[in-house]
Formats: sequence, C-alpha cells, structure tokens
Amino acid sequence: MIQLQNIFKWYNTANRPTFILKDVSLTIDEGAFLSIMGPSGSGKTTLLNIMGMLDQPSEGSYHFMGQDVFNLKEKQRKELYKQYIGFVFQAYHLLDELTVYENIETPLLYQGVKSAERKAMVGDMLDRFRIVGKKDLFPSQLSGGQQQLVGVVRALISKPKLILADEPTGNLNSTQGEEIMQLFQQLNKEEGVTIVQVTHSEKNAAFGNRIIQLLDGQVQD
Amino acid sequence: MLKNYITVAFRNLMKHKGFSFINVLGLSIGLTCCMLISLYIYHEYSYDSYHAKGERLYQLGAVFNNEGELEHRATVPSALAVALQQEFPEIEESARLLSLFRDDKTLLQYQESGENVKSFYESKGYVADPSLFKLLAYNFIEGDPATALQNPNTVVVTEEIAEKLFGEESALNKTIRISSNTNGDGDYTITGVFRPHNVPSHIDARFLLSPRGGGLENFFLNSTTLLNNNMFFTYFLLKEGSDAQQLEKKLPAFVERHMGEELKNRGSDRQLFLTNIEDIHLASEIEGNVTPAGSLTYIRILASIAVLTLLIACINFMNLSTSRSSKRSREVGVRKVLGAERSFLIWQFLGESLIMALVAFIFAIVLAVVFLPVFEQLSGRDIILSFQQHGFLLGVYFLLAIITGFIAGSYPAFYLSSFKPVQVLKGRFSSSLSVVSLRKGLVIFQFVISVVLIIASVIISNQMSYLRSKDLGFIKDQQIVIPLRSETAKSSYASLKAQLNSHTSIRSVGGSLNYPGISNPTDWLMYKEGSSAQNAESVVITHVDDSFLQTLGLKAVAGRLFSPDFPADTNNHIILNEKGVAEFGFPSAEEAVGSWVAFDWEGEQYRFDIVGVVNDFHFKDLRVPIQPFGFLLVNAPIYNYLIAHVNQGNMGQTLQVIEERWNALNPNEPFEYSFLDQDFQKNYEAESRLAGMIRYFTIIAILISCLGLFGLATFSAEQRIKEIGIRKVLGASVSSLVALLSKDFLKLVVVSVVLASPIAWYIMHEWLQTFAYRVDISWQVFALTTFLAVMIALVTVSFQAIKAALTNPVKNLRTE
Ligand SMILES: Nc1ncnc2c1ncn2[C@@H]1O[C@H](COP(=O)(O)OP(=O)(O)OP(=O)(O)O)[C@@H](O)[C@H]1O
Ligand SMILES: [Mg+2]
Repeated sequence: MIQLQNIFKWYNTANRPTFILKDVSLTIDEGAFLSIMGPSGSGKTTLLNIMGMLDQPSEGSYHFMGQDVFNLKEKQRKELYKQYIGFVFQAYHLLDELTVYENIETPLLYQGVKSAERKAMVGDMLDRFRIVGKKDLFPSQLSGGQQQLVGVVRALISKPKLILADEPTGNLNSTQGEEIMQLFQQLNKEEGVTIVQVTHSEKNAAFGNRIIQLLDGQVQD
Repeated sequence: MLKNYITVAFRNLMKHKGFSFINVLGLSIGLTCCMLISLYIYHEYSYDSYHAKGERLYQLGAVFNNEGELEHRATVPSALAVALQQEFPEIEESARLLSLFRDDKTLLQYQESGENVKSFYESKGYVADPSLFKLLAYNFIEGDPATALQNPNTVVVTEEIAEKLFGEESALNKTIRISSNTNGDGDYTITGVFRPHNVPSHIDARFLLSPRGGGLENFFLNSTTLLNNNMFFTYFLLKEGSDAQQLEKKLPAFVERHMGEELKNRGSDRQLFLTNIEDIHLASEIEGNVTPAGSLTYIRILASIAVLTLLIACINFMNLSTSRSSKRSREVGVRKVLGAERSFLIWQFLGESLIMALVAFIFAIVLAVVFLPVFEQLSGRDIILSFQQHGFLLGVYFLLAIITGFIAGSYPAFYLSSFKPVQVLKGRFSSSLSVVSLRKGLVIFQFVISVVLIIASVIISNQMSYLRSKDLGFIKDQQIVIPLRSETAKSSYASLKAQLNSHTSIRSVGGSLNYPGISNPTDWLMYKEGSSAQNAESVVITHVDDSFLQTLGLKAVAGRLFSPDFPADTNNHIILNEKGVAEFGFPSAEEAVGSWVAFDWEGEQYRFDIVGVVNDFHFKDLRVPIQPFGFLLVNAPIYNYLIAHVNQGNMGQTLQVIEERWNALNPNEPFEYSFLDQDFQKNYEAESRLAGMIRYFTIIAILISCLGLFGLATFSAEQRIKEIGIRKVLGASVSSLVALLSKDFLKLVVVSVVLASPIAWYIMHEWLQTFAYRVDISWQVFALTTFLAVMIALVTVSFQAIKAALTNPVKNLRTE
C-alpha cells in the first residue's frame, strides 16, 4: 500500500541544510498495524505527514496504492487523500464551533456526500461507538478520551483504507489510551483498515503488528 | 453545505461577540453614511428628470467677458428668445422666465366677503411666458396649462398657496392683490393651480405672473436690446431630431450678425450656449441661475467621505480578522486535513463577512431611516422618494452591502485559507511579517483619513467663526430690518420712521433700496471728472435716505454723510467708498470730495457730485473683495427696507413696540422683520452646511477607526497576556506596562498625523481660496490635531493596556 523510497527531508537553517529525514525507505502492506517510535525530534511527525500527503519530502519517491503520489496533479492527490486517508491527532483537533455530530459530518461535506446519505452514515457511526447521547455536545463539554474517540470516529467516517495517528494517546490517561488502542486493533482486524501510529509508549506500540524505530531521521530495524 | 456555512458563521459571530460587535457596528455606521449620502447625491442628480420633453429642453446661457474674466450666466436679454426662434427652425418653442428679483418676499392679499383681508408674504415669485407650461411639465390640478397666463393680470399658484388663500374652495378665477417691489402692485386673476412634482426642479416657483398687465410688461415683452438687461431665463424646446450641439455651433455667427458691431464698440464679446434642462442643477459654472446650482465639488467631497467611512469599517474587519488568524489557523488546518479544498474555506470565510455585512445592512437601513430627518436638515434638502425609487434604492443598497462584505472579507479569506496544515497544527503560530506590516499600513490609512477630517473640521470652524466675527466696516448687530413691500407700506415710511425715532430704545432709523448682505442688482459704469466712458469703473449703487448711513454706523473719512442737517442735498450727490476713490484714481479722499463722477446714457452725461467718502465696508459676503460703491440720496418714499438700529436690552419689547406702530399704519399687512447680522450670515449657508456635515462625518470616521483600534488593542493585550504576567513578576510597574502596550499604536497614529498634515493643508488651502478674506492655516491647527489624535488613540488603547497590566500575573501564567 505504501512504498517510500529514499526519502530525504531537510530545512535550510542559517544557510546550512538540517536533515530531518535521511534516506528513509519503507514499505507498508495493506492491513498492517505499524507503530513508529523514536525520541523527540527524530522526525516521526514529519514522516507521518509525508505519508499523509500533508507534507512533501525534499527528495525521494512515494507510491500510494500503486500511484506515484508526488507526480500526481494537486487535484488528483487531494482526491486520493480524501478517499483513502484519515488523520488522528494527539491534540484531537476537533472544531470547537461544531457539535460532535457536525464534527463527524464535516469530512462528508467536503466529499460532497448527499444530505440523506450523510445523516445515515453519521447515525450509524454514533450508534456503533455508542456516542449518540453526546451528539449535540460541543468538544469543550467532553473529556479528553471522549474527544479522541470523536476524533477517531471522524477519521473513520469516510471509510478510509489508511489511518494515520500522531501520538493518539499522548494526552490521555492509560485507561483512555488503552480503549483507543483496542479500537484501533479491532478496526485493523475486523475491517482490514491499515493503521500507522506514532507513539512513545512501548505498551501501545505493542498493539500493532510491526514496530519501527526512528533515530536521527533514519529507520533502525 | 450552505446551511453548514451559515451555522458555523453564526456560531463564530456569537462566540466572538466583541469582534462581531465592533465589525457590525462599524459596517452599519459606514453603510448608513453611504446610504444617506447616496440619497443626497441621487436627489441632486434627479433635478428636472421628470419633464416629458426633457431631452429637447434647453436653457440659453451667455458667456460675458468681464475684463478678461469669462463669466457664464443663465440670464440673457428678453429679445434673444424671439430673435433666435425666428432665425433657427430647430427651435420649436421658447419661454422666458423673470424672477421678481427685487422681492425677497411678495405680499399676497385676498379680500374675503366683508372687510376681512387675508394677507401673507410669499417668496419665489416669477413672471413667465404662457408657453412655459407647454415646455415644462407642470402638474395642474386646476385650470388649463395651455391658456393660463395668456390674459393680462393672471397668475398661477401652487396648491399650497391656493389652500392658504381659499381653503377647500376652488381658487380658479378668484382675484387676489399682489404687491411686488419688482412688478408693482396689481389685481390678478388665478388661472391655474399646480402641485409641485416630487422630483425636484431648478425652478422653484411658487407663483407665476403673466407678463402682461404688470409693471414689467414693457421690459419683458417690448425690449429690443440683445445685449443689455440680462435678466431673463430663456428655455427652448428643440424640434424632434434636431441636435443641440449643431445649433450651438451656429450661435457665434448669430452673435456676430446681430451684435457684432456693438460689441466691437464696447470692446467686449459675448458667447451663447445651451444647457439641457436635466444638467442645469449641477452646472455650477453657470452663475445666477433660477436657484443656486448644486455643487459637484460638494457631491465629490461627500461621496469620498461616504466611501472612506465604509472603507474604514472594512479595514476594521480585515485587521481584526487577520490579527485573529492565530485563533483561526488551527481550524483551517483541521478542515484541510478533513479534506477541505481551499475554495471551500475561502467561501466559508467570505460567508462570515457577508453575513456580517447583511446584519449590518439591516441595522443600517434602520439607522438611515432614523437619521434621515437629521441628515435632511444638515444637507438642506428634502429627500422625497416614490415607492419605485425606494425599491430600486433598497436593491442598490443590498448590492452595496454584498460588495462591502466581499471587500472586507476577501483579503482575510484568502489569507486565512492559505495556511498549511503541517505548519499550523504543529502548535504556536505567528503572523508573517508582511501581514503585520499590512495591518499597520491599514491602521495608518484609517488614521490619515480621520486626521485629515479633523484638520479640515478645525480649519473650516476657524474660517466660519472668522466669517461671523470679522469687522464688516459697519455695525451689523442690533439692526432690525423691516421690509416695505406694498405701496401702502412704502408711503408709511416717513411716519413710521418718525414714530420709531421718538422711542428711547431705538437709536436711529434709516431707509434704503438695499442693505449689505443681500443681492444688489444695480451697478453703473462711471468715470471721474476729466476722464471718459472708455475708462469707466463699475460702481455698485444703492439709494438711501438721509439717515441710513448713520444707522449703519458708516464713517465719513472725507467730506460728510447724507444727513437731515443738509436738507438741500439732491439726488445728484454721491458718497463713494474708499475703494471707489482709489479705483477712480483720485489722489486722496479729500481731493475726491468736491469733484464729480458720471455715466453716459444715450449720448447724455449724468453727473454726480461727490459730497463725501466713507470707509470701506463689506456690502457683499467675504468671498468677494470689496468693490467701488456709491450711495445716492433719494427722498421719495420708494425704500424697500427700513432699518432700525436699536439699543442693547430688551429686544422682545422693542420688537413689540415696532409691531404696534406697524400695525397701526399698515393694518392689512403682517409685520415681518429680520436681523441684519443673520441675513448677512445666510450667504454662508452652503459653507455652514459643509462644515456641519464634515463635523459629523469626522466624528463618525474617528469613531469607526477607534473601534478598530480598540479591537486590535484588546487582541494584542490578550496575546501578550503571558508576557505581561512574566514582566510583572519581574517587577515591571503598571505604567511601564501600559506604555509598552500603547507605544506601538501611538507610533502609528503619529505617523498618520505626519502623513495627513500636508494632504489636509493642501485641500484646505484650496478651499480657503474661495474666500477673498480668510484665516491663515496656523501651526496651532496641526499641533491641536496631533494632540487630539494622540489623546483619542491613547484613551482607546490604554483602556485595554491598563486592564491587562492590572490583572493578577499568577492567573495569567497559570492558564496556557
Ligand atoms: N519548519 C521547520 N524548520 C526547521 N526545522 C523544522 C521545521 N519543522 C520541524 N523541524 C525540525 O524537524 C525535526 C523533526 O520534527 P518532528 O516534528 O518530525 O519530530 P518528532 O519526531 O515528531 O518529535 P516529537 O516526538 O517531539 O513530536 C525537529 O528537530 C524540528 O525541530
Ligand atoms: Mg511529533
């Protein structure tokens, strides 16, 4: 599903390039549950953003579902992204002005899904994750765990094939974190959703079926 | 999708109440200004737009060469209409109009059954050709426009006058008495009653007299001169299909054929031109039209003010939006991650500004309706609109609101939607340098506008108070002017004067045909002893009685005044002003006395012995320099005005005394009076209007600018709350923190003052040039303005700064 080849990423600071990613090559198969670990500043988020097409590498190639991502037109890349990828963040990043229901609905709006269909899809999800009762609340009225649950549900609403999660449990206590991890595991096993997560916790990393270590912008196998 | 945009927009507006309040208030005020001012402009452009034959109706005008200075005037000799119509088949019909130029008001009387006489004064009377009603659209509710004014001694009046005279009764064929200083006294039959149109006209007639039967009949109908007696407004209806420009091109040849020789003898020239009736009101280069022309300059000034106030409000929206961008950047990032295209986000942000503009639109409509009466008073125009016009204007304003929303919203929308998720989701966000400098630039722009307006207001105020207080060379205070409008009133002058003189509170009483401050149509071309008509000077002439000069407090600098002590004075004695003495070239005032000046008329010389010279005084407003002036003595009771100089004290009582005496002598005429100083001041009505409007709009512009500044200050204090906390913990005093927070804004205001001063100086310098007598623009004006602007900004900004500096630092450091 994901093939990264010789990815370099550098920033020019004080006229000298600082390397963030140095020659990263990585293949992730469909149905995998990959955990990326590594010390702070090692480039984990950068790598994840490149996979998620939010960021571009300075060098290297990226094939997603057989398509050469960085040789696609902007529009096609967006389409690919909208169709297949969902993001989950450490800081949840829910939209404060929107209710739970509306937060979950938003990706569907951007995909141009019809109103009736949207209603059905959001309703399904609310049922499935047992948060119907919370649908009219605003994010500020939820606990951290509940917010992250909504964040995950929002990422899942458009039925993505790949979920990218940047320290999804970083702001949660261990019980809340575990629940999210179990949810990921279930999605991965039962629905075959590919999951790539960044985590600092060995325990959470272990929920996955593959772990890679990033050190100074290089994959340590 | 649309529903989502709207809900989100509304929630955002509600959540950030301060932000929304500032923007909606600013935009509402800005839109209200635009609406009111555009109503005024619309009104100014709608003059005479209702005439059915409008495109074919033209007014004839003439260009006079006044010693090298070209003067466009709307008045021409009466015979020109006839001559031109005879010569040019393009002219289908013509009509002349003559203002009762010597009447500021005319006495109308109706003898009811029995002895009772209903009488009142009316202004805006004219003598008109019967054909006027064929050319111009008049809305007759009684009588026949085709035949009205054809018979001698007929009159057409407005519905309002008819109602005043006869109430519900029909006015047609009733006879009224009209006493005019210009047209004499006479009985007139009413042959028509009209209702003025809602749309304004440059002809403001309230009653129109037939040329036949009045004192002006000969002057109006039988005069043959094509060069003199330039008093008639002349209108032409051109034949269908004929071109006014083509006709205008043939006029120089006409002038050459009929007047060429005489013009050459006079060493003068004359051009004729045509103005379409719809263009007359704004043709301000033409002097002395039926009603004063609207001023394109004022329209431009007001239009700029309207656009600028709205722009200031738009800038508030832009600045507050971009300064808030750190708050909104995360939302943009998240939405993009969720799959939003940039265009979606642009529309979302535009949606918010559009909703804001529409809410402001609704408030603005309400404000405009509420403030329309105030504005009408301020602008001196009654703005009456039909239902269709309302609909049309509402549509235009709606469009204006939408455009405003777009202008205000587009820059923030493009800026905010450009954020990249990787950057903004990472955490702290800082505005780029270019956005910050643009914001500063826009604040400076706002304040430049405000400061220019402040400077303009101050200078206009200075000039206005100068106009009020300048020594005019005569006593203008405590002077009561009593118009004498009928023969009866005029002949009662001597008794009235004698009775008033005996009263202790009245110092002096004089009579004259004219007094300073009102228009004086008489001037003569005179030359001095030893010279000839070729070297004639134009002298403004007024006829007075033997105590008028003393009443006005004019001083003899040489010779003497007319006075009852010299009963042998005749009407070939003249008293000149100093300017006249100088222009004639007398070596001194003393030497002028005893000499003579004269004019020639039809080959005969009319000589006037100079018996005295008075100090220069302003008989016209201060826009124009003092010209040569001559007083002539007249002993017959033909004075148009009695002027009483009264002692300071109980004015009400004095007026009552005068009224009693008046009523005893003139039982059928209501007593009327005015004050000379106020009459003089009326000359500056346009300026006082402009001053009033600019004052108001200055306040509005400052208010909106300060709203924006307040918003920015609030925001910056919020953003720096942590920094303030740390500084406080480190021991910074409140005043140093206030200075820290206010400094940046004050710098912007100072820059604005520096930029605005030369602009304002230039504009006001130009404006002051329209006055021959004017104030200097002193450095104090700029010092005062700088002080004002800085104080206003300081008050606005420091409120937030003090609030921030006073908060407990522990609280600020804990959060975040
Ligand atoms: N715009 C930028 N300019 C310069 N350097 C940058 C920029 N963005 C990120 N970096 C650097 O890239 C490096 C990697 O950042 P990244 O966010 O990928 O680290 P990370 O592994 O996710 O760390 P953490 O575990 O703390 O989240 C960091 O050292 C950071 O300072
Ligand atoms: Mg990271």
